[in-house]
Amino acid sequence: MTTVTSIDHKGKKIEFFPENEAEQDIPDDELHEHLARPSTERTRRLKARCRWKHASAGEFVEKGVSAGIERMRLITEAHKANDGKPEVIRRALGLKHILDNMTLVIQEDEFIVGYHAEDPNKFPLYPELSYMAVQDYLISDYAPQPVKEASEINDYWKPHSLQSKCQEYFDPVDLTRMYQVSTMEGPSFASGYNSLIPPYETVLEDGLLTRIKLAEENVSNAYKQMEKLPWDGTTGLEWLDKIDNWKAMIITCKAVISWARRYSRLCHIVAEHYETDLKRREELMEIADICYRVPAEPCRGLKDAFQAKWFTFLVCHAIDRYASGFAQLEDRLLWPYYHKSVVEKSFQPMEFEEVVELVEMERLKISEHGAGKSRAYREIFPGSNDLFILTLGGTNGDGSDACTDMTDAILEAARNIRTTEPSIVFRYSSVNRNKTLRLVFECIRDGLGYPSIKHDERGVKQMLDYGKFSLNGNGATQEEAHSWANVLCMSPGLTGRRKSQKTRSEGGGALFPAKLLEIALNNGYDWSYSDMQLGPETGDPRNFDKFEDLWEAFRKQYAYAISLCIRCKDVSRHMEGKFLQQPFVSAIDDGCMELGVDAVVLSEQPNGWHNPITSIVAANSLVALKKLVFEEKKYTMDQVCGALRANWEGYEEMRMDFKNAPKWGNDDDYADTLIKDFYEDILGGEMVKIRNYSGGPVLPVGQAVGLYMEVGTRTGPTPDGRFGGEVADDGGISPYMGTDKKGPTAVLKSVAKVQDNQKANLLNQRLSVSMIRSGYGFDIWKSYMQTWHDLNIDHVQFNVVSTDEMKAAQKEPEKHQDLIVRVSGYSARFVDIPTYGQNTIIARNEQEFSSEDLDFLNVEL
Amino acid sequence: MTTCKECEFFFSVPEDADDYKPAKGDCVVEKQDEKGKYWLAKPVSEKDGCCEQYRPGSR
Repeated sequence: MTTVTSIDHKGKKIEFFPENEAEQDIPDDELHEHLARPSTERTRRLKARCRWKHASAGEFVEKGVSAGIERMRLITEAHKANDGKPEVIRRALGLKHILDNMTLVIQEDEFIVGYHAEDPNKFPLYPELSYMAVQDYLISDYAPQPVKEASEINDYWKPHSLQSKCQEYFDPVDLTRMYQVSTMEGPSFASGYNSLIPPYETVLEDGLLTRIKLAEENVSNAYKQMEKLPWDGTTGLEWLDKIDNWKAMIITCKAVISWARRYSRLCHIVAEHYETDLKRREELMEIADICYRVPAEPCRGLKDAFQAKWFTFLVCHAIDRYASGFAQLEDRLLWPYYHKSVVEKSFQPMEFEEVVELVEMERLKISEHGAGKSRAYREIFPGSNDLFILTLGGTNGDGSDACTDMTDAILEAARNIRTTEPSIVFRYSSVNRNKTLRLVFECIRDGLGYPSIKHDERGVKQMLDYGKFSLNGNGATQEEAHSWANVLCMSPGLTGRRKSQKTRSEGGGALFPAKLLEIALNNGYDWSYSDMQLGPETGDPRNFDKFEDLWEAFRKQYAYAISLCIRCKDVSRHMEGKFLQQPFVSAIDDGCMELGVDAVVLSEQPNGWHNPITSIVAANSLVALKKLVFEEKKYTMDQVCGALRANWEGYEEMRMDFKNAPKWGNDDDYADTLIKDFYEDILGGEMVKIRNYSGGPVLPVGQAVGLYMEVGTRTGPTPDGRFGGEVADDGGISPYMGTDKKGPTAVLKSVAKVQDNQKANLLNQRLSVSMIRSGYGFDIWKSYMQTWHDLNIDHVQFNVVSTDEMKAAQKEPEKHQDLIVRVSGYSARFVDIPTYGQNTIIARNEQEFSSEDLDFLNVEL
Repeated sequence: MTTCKECEFFFSVPEDADDYKPAKGDCVVEKQDEKGKYWLAKPVSEKDGCCEQYRPGSR
């Protein structure tokens, strides 16, 4: 690094030289190409040949990636063959038919095996979830072949699809508004987008044979209960659905075991008939042994645990139905098996370094996992294949540090192999050990953009608060509340043997305050994008004679949108419970097993949330309007409406006034007081009034994914001085790019002011590369984190990448394949992001710590 | 008609397997592309007519 920053601090000059002296000779604009160090030759090879499935501007980056037809063909055959059977049995037989007949894939060098399509370059589609998503593929270069057959399959599903079953309960006008994806995300019953946390724990601890036995005992007991004299129809009939659910669980568990054992057989065949390398032959026989035993039996060592977890992930997230995410508390989940293999060496004995290699191999499996998302959903995660996010760290039920050597192995592997997926969340607590914090820091310092940091205690409290609304009085206990992980980018949810989130209807989906403000300034009408009425008529803004009139108009637009969004999710869930049951997920959830209820239907722990995205553009706009129109009266609402309609053309002086009005993220009380109210009274205050399917309140999770770009293009000019079509803010509570001008601690002071009625809020920060990579970097970061923690802020994540390097990558992308950036709730290879998105990362302020910042952080240098 | 049973890539499913059925087998083929080597296995019946990948050499 040729650039050395220096500051005057406490009477002396502090120079920030690289901690690693060897870096002094590496040019600033190629630093990240020198940081990867796969821990073994095998993982180096696996990374070099990784079949990435990243998308950019909706197109797959690598050639040869396409949708497969196999899964959609098999689910359709089963659906037709099992007409007339109870729906949950039909669903179970559907999964069984897929698993029994799907093509298996094993690649050279793999140790963790299993794939979800008929070829490693393909991914499956799900016409039973969304025929619109499949339709999208049929007209693309990625169409499943033969297209004619795929098209016939898709036509078959139209009347059976979730969308068809749900949409008749809505006013078509409301749905048309949602399909614009400009004030609200489209309904989940149309997109098929889903998320869940599989209860991996039961698979690893019990094994599926035990789950089958439990279900068989429950069926047997149910028949006995029904035969009791005298018959009571008011309670006896409840056993019918339970019996069907348990029988469906048995069918799916047996099918999963059989599928895993087909992998075992394939390993044997490859070892005996194809592989010539003796060492690899032995390894294939070991994999064969593992796949024969797990997930049928309990895991006995760490290799078992990785494989059983992978099989479970594939079934729950990619084969039974599509679900985004890789949610788990991975270090805690794997720690017992780490202990057996590394500490006790009682089964599958290994050293720490071998654990790191296993983690690297799992990361590469996720990196080549393809998701059959529609083009719209590929566009909103530019640079990624899907949202894969796991969680580490935090505290145990007794408040002690939960970090272990398994935590360290996962972090070390992430730092070494440098893949964008899976992203990592670290639950920060004051009791976390220094050794692990150092590894968290090193991942951040090396520019991975993760771990993103979440406040441990806030998450625990949130789980307990939601648990109070449990419909069956069985919400999170104190112990369980400490086992939370992020469901996707930002929102905590329980992990464990029961009570985890099973479907997207609980949380996820977005609405867009910037666009809602735009239509509130036009009586609910969208002139700039859809040219239609997108919300209720809330009055001609020219007649607003006080700021409160505008405030309440926005509130009405927001309240309409959020209730419609949650109604869609709840109706989806209701219908999922009738036609899209998840009997395998039910089988591995202790609550479903005990009660005989399907995983989609049962809700023990409410966890309702929805994502306001583009909130800061709306908030900054309200600040500017209040100041310049209603207080200083420099402009009238009529002038504002005219200037916005002209996209500020001919109004440059006026635009600069609005652009220079106080902005969020500068510890400016004028802006922050109003914005705090905006978040707590409207964004959170209106959401919290809602009760969803699970009986709990819905809370806002401010974030962005790539929607801040996509919705930015659909949002007209706004009174924060932004032109129509420009990107919106890049995170839930992050300052608008380039407007946080008072340094990193001013940002923290602003953000800390918003506390009530929030579930989570994403904070993006870009820190000085030379400061963070210096010998002082860890001390500064640790002090920053402790201050962040003490200010009770929910989240923070960092980009540590220079503008020089990003601009160099724009010029010569082929030379910058390892440059990773944090986009929003996920990281991406910079060169895989479209230029429009790349420029939004470059535009973020690279925050340097001044002497005043260091004083506030109480850091000693 | 030539059948899967006569193909080198046909492997009978053992009788003690969970998915055993008489005449059922695995069709296991090796593939290679620019990213490397991989193997595919799909269930077939020994009575199925052979496909374009057929290679004589029953086991």
